[in-house]
Amino acid sequence: MKNNITLILALLLAFAASAQQKGDVLIKNGTVLTITNGDLAETDVLIRDGKISKIGKGLKAPSGAKTIDATGMYVMPGIIDAHSHIALDAVNEATSPVTAEVFTGDAVDPLDVSIYRALAGGVTTSHAMHGSANAVGGQCETIKHRYGTVDPEALKMKGAPRTIKFALGENPTRVHGAGNNMVPRTRMGVEAVFRNSFSEAQEYMAAWNEYNANKSKKGFKGAPPKYDLRLETLADILKGEIIIHCHSYRADEIYMLMQVCKDFGIKRLVFQHVNEGFKVAPELAEFGAGASVFADWWAYKFEVYYSTAYNATILSENGVVTSINSDSGELIRHLYHEAAKTQKYGGLTDKDALSMITINPAKQLGIEDRVGSIEEGKEGDIAIFNNHPLSIYAIPMYTIIDGVLQFDRQNDQDDMRIYVNPEEKIDVTFSQNDHTVDRCMQGTEFLFKN
Amino acid sequence: MIILFIGVLPSSLYGQDEKIAPVTGTYAITNVNITQAPGRTIQLGTVVVKDGMITAVGKSVSIPADAKIIKADSMYLYAGFIDGLSHVGVDMPKEEEDQDVDDPSNPPNDIAGIQPDRDVRGLLNPSDKSVDDWRKLGFTAAHVVPEGRMLPGSGAIVLLSGDTPDEMVYRSGTSLFSQLRGASGIYPNTVIGVMAKYRDLYRNASYAKSYKQRYEQDGAGMERPVSDRVLEAFYPVIDKRIPVAFKAESVLDIQRVFILKNDLGFNLMLGEVKQGWDVIDKIKNANASVFLSLELPELKEEKEKDSTDTDEGDTKKELTAAEEEQQRLDARKKEMILNHYKQPALFTANGVKFGFSTLEAKSKDIKSNLSKMVANGLSEDAALTALTTAPAQLLGLSNTMGTVDAGKIANLVISDKPYFDEKSNVKMVFVDGKLFEYDDKPKKKKSDGEDIDPKGSWSYSTETPQGTTTGTLKITGEAGDYSGEMTNSQTGETTSISDIAISGTSMTYSFQINAGGNMLSISVSVTIDGETFDGTMTVGSYGSFPVEGERIPEQ
Repeated sequence: MKNNITLILALLLAFAASAQQKGDVLIKNGTVLTITNGDLAETDVLIRDGKISKIGKGLKAPSGAKTIDATGMYVMPGIIDAHSHIALDAVNEATSPVTAEVFTGDAVDPLDVSIYRALAGGVTTSHAMHGSANAVGGQCETIKHRYGTVDPEALKMKGAPRTIKFALGENPTRVHGAGNNMVPRTRMGVEAVFRNSFSEAQEYMAAWNEYNANKSKKGFKGAPPKYDLRLETLADILKGEIIIHCHSYRADEIYMLMQVCKDFGIKRLVFQHVNEGFKVAPELAEFGAGASVFADWWAYKFEVYYSTAYNATILSENGVVTSINSDSGELIRHLYHEAAKTQKYGGLTDKDALSMITINPAKQLGIEDRVGSIEEGKEGDIAIFNNHPLSIYAIPMYTIIDGVLQFDRQNDQDDMRIYVNPEEKIDVTFSQNDHTVDRCMQGTEFLFKN
Repeated sequence: MIILFIGVLPSSLYGQDEKIAPVTGTYAITNVNITQAPGRTIQLGTVVVKDGMITAVGKSVSIPADAKIIKADSMYLYAGFIDGLSHVGVDMPKEEEDQDVDDPSNPPNDIAGIQPDRDVRGLLNPSDKSVDDWRKLGFTAAHVVPEGRMLPGSGAIVLLSGDTPDEMVYRSGTSLFSQLRGASGIYPNTVIGVMAKYRDLYRNASYAKSYKQRYEQDGAGMERPVSDRVLEAFYPVIDKRIPVAFKAESVLDIQRVFILKNDLGFNLMLGEVKQGWDVIDKIKNANASVFLSLELPELKEEKEKDSTDTDEGDTKKELTAAEEEQQRLDARKKEMILNHYKQPALFTANGVKFGFSTLEAKSKDIKSNLSKMVANGLSEDAALTALTTAPAQLLGLSNTMGTVDAGKIANLVISDKPYFDEKSNVKMVFVDGKLFEYDDKPKKKKSDGEDIDPKGSWSYSTETPQGTTTGTLKITGEAGDYSGEMTNSQTGETTSISDIAISGTSMTYSFQINAGGNMLSISVSVTIDGETFDGTMTVGSYGSFPVEGERIPEQ
């Protein structure tokens, strides 16, 4: 008994030590699904110092490198989830219709065991998003699932572009309009919030530009404009430094936000959920907006009734960069199944289906030059399956991040928590159903007043 | 909770504080084992106290003629303890429940918990029960801060004696107290809101401060800077004249505070650290002063099963899978609790200087928690250091406090056995040269392990991100068959509670509420202490929240 515990602790410590390390791994003789360069049979992938250094046959492992025999297995890029709320201690700062200043990066929780569950589904990167309670929500953090550390910084994907959550429709109008009698009460109000916010940010930028241009002039007597972190952030959106990821369902509103962005010169835009995206697919393609959708999940509120499982295929066939996301600590464990649904509904090719959970979400997060495909020079994030990942019989066997083995099915302990609650009540018969919890609106219940 | 009872106690109980001038302010404590500082001891020596100061310490010192001689034969004398971050003696006005604000996105500062301009001196109450409770433990000085949310106010160093708040104060404006605690239902509500607002305020203060400087140099032709007490409270922090004293208990909160420190560059004092063992290097790099929490999680040793007493082997049962699982989970929980106990020893081993803080600790637990830390590797010298010389250094008080040396303020604690002996009792405490004597307290008659009877009515309150909920809890029935119901100020409904279980002084029960069509199961676990209880309420996967209550006297 004691030995077992010691073993688990030793393993955890080993994991802890591996955080943000870069490793060397040789993956031998697998079917390599590169995504961007076709499928390569019986091919080796060598990762050195965290980066994919060579793809070919008969590669030799450098001394000290771990070797994984992938004979008969499928080697794909680590799966990327463009919409998730795992590993966060706070999701919604729902108290104001505009909270651009808040940042989920401040609330990253490396102790969340959901990270390990995601690894067990081959997911190496996720977009830890603010919730959808407000029209302009908070900034989001792109994380790598380097589980086994207490350091939130170790999870952050340094250098990934900044992103921010926006929201359309029922969530922001329910929380602020219906709940607190504030703008936005209607979908028109949501548009007004965007336009007002961006206009204020323009004035703010202009005021600071003027101040900065004059402050060093001799005899300058002016006061600096009032610093405002909210407007600073909105100004950074206008400057193109932040990608908008907008919670959306209805086509009219999706079209509306594209018009708003055009008016303010904003080019980097990804729609989340986008259930009616199929109605405006050509317009989305023309704008260059991305779409991150559910495979087949809808009807959980009124505005999400007009939906189809063909959405992803229609968007993709119209030239929209499309991804499939989880928005859930459960779905994130089998995004490869979700991607496979595009083959039943729309008959996408293997490459296009897998692109929905690899290179396409990478593009939407602005990290496609680093992850999302197996190419020499890219980061060593790999998922290895016993069968083709789009097969219903696929089982994730290994998950690797930066050349460090983070999940190994043959060595998968029951209790992977890093810290346990010293005051928890242990009752092994107690079980909890997480699936009913919609974290997108977590922490906002008090704002709904009937 | 403690505060609530003061009003009902007859003032005669505080007889020792009555204003009769002492016959003399000079004392000679003789024949006492003196620990002047950790590792520096005098066996059976004398300490002379005069006019609030220590005037002589040694084996053979001359005793002034006017001295009252205290024969502390074979007792143990130490420098008075210093509490590094505390609410002792701070008497907060009762918070109004969920005040309505016109605009929850932009509430008034005081309701949002943004009160850095508040001074703890205005909130001190020398006759608060906690002052005597802390003194009885050996504490003579404390760095006290107001209670509140994100920015509760500025702290002060106080001595735990005096008849007026000003008499207690040794030094004021010593720190800007901060917490990652959001406002209830209004902006900033969550930790991400608090951190964003903190940056916004701090940077605004920096701009306002430099504009004011420019204006003061040559204001002619310049727009007049508008006074802003909230921003001005940051000025001494920006100038690095005082640190930010940040409460950060968990390993994640500690690191969040480091994020803010890195962004803004203030000097940092970390208080109430409970889970710092994995971030010792980060604490060192941040050059932060550290105060470890004197609150510890409780380790409930499982009662030995009868079977282990009798013949082993023969009677040993095969464990079911669930029992094995339970054992593994219990072992991990125990490991986690022990990490808390071992933390001070680990900090010492890593060369991190630390004191203790008591923002969360209850006076009745403090001495036994110190014993637990000593039992888990903290040497008695290191424990004494953390109570005396280390906080004196970290708070800039070494000139006048922290050791038993001539010239220092007469803050002393005298116990009948070595202080860290579990059976020791504090017999005398000097604060600022004033003597407080303590008799052995009669042991409470309470047979071990007897289950408490929760029957009757209790008022309770709980705080969740949705705000404060209050109500009445009514328990009827007999031991083993309790039932009950509760009212809820948020829903206005009466709900029946179930699974009421009592074990010693702990009570658990559960109930369900309807949240927008979903039935949420809520389990509550509290410890009953006389007429009050406190504990936690766990709401599905939404987390745990504090609950407290007190018995409603029967009419």
